[in-house]
Amino acid sequence: MQKYKLTKFILILTLLVTPILGIFNSKSVHAADEKTKTVATGSIMKKIKKSGQLVVGTSADYPPLEFTKTRNGKTQYVGVDMELAKDIAKDLHVKLVVKNMSFDSLLVALETGKVDMVISAMSPTAERKQSVAFSKIYYRAKGDYFLVNKKDAKKYTTIASLKGKNVGAQTGSIQYNEIKKQMPDSTVKGLGKVNNLVLALQSGKDSALVLEELTAKAYQNNNKNLVAIKSNLKTSQTGNAIAMAKGQPDLVKAVNKTIDRVQKEDLINKKYLPAAAKEMQTANKQSTMLAYWNYFLKGVWYTIVITIFSVLIGIILGTLLALMRLSKNPILHWIAVCYIEFIRGTPQMVQILFVYFGIGYLISNMSALLAGIIAIGLNSGAYVAEDIRSGINSLPKGQSEAARSLGLSRSKTYRYVIIPQAIKNIWPALGNEFITLVKDSSLVSVIGVGELMYETQLVQTSTYKGVLPLFIAMIIYFILTFSLTRLLNHFEKRMKTNG
Amino acid sequence: MANKMIEVEHLKKNYGEKEILKDISETVDKGQVISIIGPSGAGKSTFLRCLNVLETPTAGKVIFEGKDLTHIDEKELDELREKMGMVFQNFNLFPNMNVIENVKLAPMKVKGVSDAQATKTAIHLLKKVGLEQIANQYPTSLSGGQQQRVAIARALAMDPEVMLFDEPTSALDPEMVGEVLKTMHDLADSGMTMVIVTHEMGFAREVSDQIWFMADGYVKEVGTPEEIFDHPQTERAKEFLSKVL
Repeated sequence: MQKYKLTKFILILTLLVTPILGIFNSKSVHAADEKTKTVATGSIMKKIKKSGQLVVGTSADYPPLEFTKTRNGKTQYVGVDMELAKDIAKDLHVKLVVKNMSFDSLLVALETGKVDMVISAMSPTAERKQSVAFSKIYYRAKGDYFLVNKKDAKKYTTIASLKGKNVGAQTGSIQYNEIKKQMPDSTVKGLGKVNNLVLALQSGKDSALVLEELTAKAYQNNNKNLVAIKSNLKTSQTGNAIAMAKGQPDLVKAVNKTIDRVQKEDLINKKYLPAAAKEMQTANKQSTMLAYWNYFLKGVWYTIVITIFSVLIGIILGTLLALMRLSKNPILHWIAVCYIEFIRGTPQMVQILFVYFGIGYLISNMSALLAGIIAIGLNSGAYVAEDIRSGINSLPKGQSEAARSLGLSRSKTYRYVIIPQAIKNIWPALGNEFITLVKDSSLVSVIGVGELMYETQLVQTSTYKGVLPLFIAMIIYFILTFSLTRLLNHFEKRMKTNG
Repeated sequence: MANKMIEVEHLKKNYGEKEILKDISETVDKGQVISIIGPSGAGKSTFLRCLNVLETPTAGKVIFEGKDLTHIDEKELDELREKMGMVFQNFNLFPNMNVIENVKLAPMKVKGVSDAQATKTAIHLLKKVGLEQIANQYPTSLSGGQQQRVAIARALAMDPEVMLFDEPTSALDPEMVGEVLKTMHDLADSGMTMVIVTHEMGFAREVSDQIWFMADGYVKEVGTPEEIFDHPQTERAKEFLSKVL
């Protein structure tokens, strides 16, 4: 009997999962082809003109090329690349919209149409050229630098001196590959954001970072504990170019035209770099945490919004799934079982990326915030479903029998008799689930939603400080979850006094 | 004879391999009070629960208002169940509602009766079972006897044609049995059709028009209280009654 059940279970699971996998194997690849083809017919240029805005993706943690700064309580993306972006938008007669995300997400965002182009100190490597098109080189860096702690300034100056040490670089960057190739005796440690790399450096996890000259010097100038040293790495840096989707000759042409103008007028040295330097000075001046309270406030606000909407999705979906799982209809039952097991058996981080880049690909214009809420809500639904199911199962059978004997239909029995009692039974478990959700909402920072974790990272980049913003974020998260716990306990007590 | 309320034809119920009800064909007439007695394991409760299809019979028919309850869709079944009140051994009041809300729930949500009308009916019924003063209390604060009387009022609120009682006093402390039996007695006197599974032989004798003696999955004997209690025909009934009387 038991064995039969197991076989049946595996069979149904395979039957349900196979078509899903099938769809993504064939369809997503085809869809990707089709999309790049339709995109190839010049729709991006048209799209930009039609919407009146140019969406530029960047990883704004790379001063002085791209970084953030607060002006009148608003986050602004500044730096050399952003100045260039402004000029491109100006030449196209459209408004500039900047989307900030981690460097390794940028090309995915470009391929999935989330951004029109990527300007993020990106080098046109052969690998990247396979999936995207590049403009002319607009800026050529002078070489790579080691960024080290001040106390090590004399110790780590060459490739050889870093033998057996950890050396950090941005995941997916040129520098990352250089370390791998030219420093075989060192261990390369990749992280998506430079501010986290600096944190790793300062806490001793990494002995040195390899950064592009301007960035390394920016950190040296803004953090008195860090020193930039010219490395003896042979740079494979071909220079920085703007990445665009393939098959967009008119867009590439327009961008190149702007780059020509920028180079002819020597705008990078005459205008962009001085502007960036000025922003960095002002950033440095207000690097007390208090000056960044509005970052944290905005983060808290988004964290609360994400939590509330995800909880709503979680409760509705969870109730539905629980009822489906308890249903006598075998199809509904097995759909619910497969969904719950699948969600509980896959990492939430992967789910968030999948919803944003995978599903968001089919539904265009899905914002990162919406994708984050959906992903967390879908995840929460699976856990809430199991809580509710256990709550329903713990009720004596006589409750539903009494209701049915009075003529209440199955659904009314659930609505008026079973669910209210089940909710009361599982309130503590549900409360835990929601507190977990507050904390898990920090994961959506990977797709660039401006919640607390993301804003914390912005503060890290803006202040060149690593630990303090994290500590503040931790305190804020604790205040949020602690208040929520008190609130839930209050309701639990009230429900108890209501018999 | 009066018209038939419930007709049972060749009813069978198995749990897996085990046969609980083997072959039962009986009729409940309108206005009749029937007590089902017999040893435990005879299938009395299962039989009662088959009458409103809380248990789905394995074979046979249960005909109520001209319809076979075992072969109708769920919506029709819900409608017919309104007319068959049921009282359970464990009361099964809804603990998330107070007494009057328990009584009002089905009239309002099933029949669509207005709150005011449902309240009026509920108070009337609670008065009838002597509990109007505890209308706003929650079930957990009531004694077993009070809970069972509320359960009776709750079933009556749907204005049923027949009331099914599944060992209504078995879970009660001895001093509470009397108040519940009195309520049932009043109900019988008012002309309600009742089918009662009970171990209270004295009460069964006093209140019933007919006694059904069940054993081993069959209704072995049917008769008036005098016939069954004073002159049982089958060995099985004689043996059982010698033990309980």
